[in-house]
Amino acid sequence: MKKSIVIALLLYVNIFAAPRVGDSAVEFDLPELYNQNKTLNSQALQGKVVLLNLWASWCSGCQEEMPLFVDLQEKYSKNNFVIVTSSIDNVAQSARDFLDRVDKEKQLVSLYDAKKILPKTYRCPGMPSSFLIDKSGTISEVYVGSLDNKAMGELKVKIDKLLEE
Amino acid sequence: MKTLFLVLLLFIVSGCSEKLVRVMPYEKEYFAQDKMSLSPVASRGEQEGHIFLIREASAGGESAFQGGCGCR
Repeated sequence: MKKSIVIALLLYVNIFAAPRVGDSAVEFDLPELYNQNKTLNSQALQGKVVLLNLWASWCSGCQEEMPLFVDLQEKYSKNNFVIVTSSIDNVAQSARDFLDRVDKEKQLVSLYDAKKILPKTYRCPGMPSSFLIDKSGTISEVYVGSLDNKAMGELKVKIDKLLEE
Repeated sequence: MKTLFLVLLLFIVSGCSEKLVRVMPYEKEYFAQDKMSLSPVASRGEQEGHIFLIREASAGGESAFQGGCGCR
């Protein structure tokens, strides 16, 4: 009896555990930021190295790192790498206004997560949060907080490694 | 009886989960607004600082300018 209670408790705790490095990335089907009639399913990203960035226009850290992501996507535009940004703004227009200034060429894949499904599922401890996902859909690295130039250099090394796999 | 107690305890403890008692980082949009800051209007903050200096008849507490000895 005691054993089954302990097992039930462990399962209960495990249900609410956040996805970590080595776990499968959370599947999603979210509308695009610029065309909300169109959605992007995570299945469509299979076979690609993905950097999933959860951000908001009101978050200063997100504002700081976004230009770096635009540069990064530009650098890897010919590779099998894609940066998917998911805005959790209450008003989508705020996110669009910010991205219009930063990502003029629309290099990033921009999604809109009005119900904040992804940060809730990933149980983000901070904003912004980014997840490096390998070609098989497994979380390879988790970044909490904004990435600076140094961290971006380390990220590039990891991306190159994942692209070679 | 013990099982029932444990199940009840589980529900009570889950009510204290971080998700329920803490505003999560992704829920702080309204907190991030300018009007939520302690001095939302920069020019008014400057003015209030000036009035504070006059009322308190001292300088230095509000800014790095002068020593704060009250002998202005």
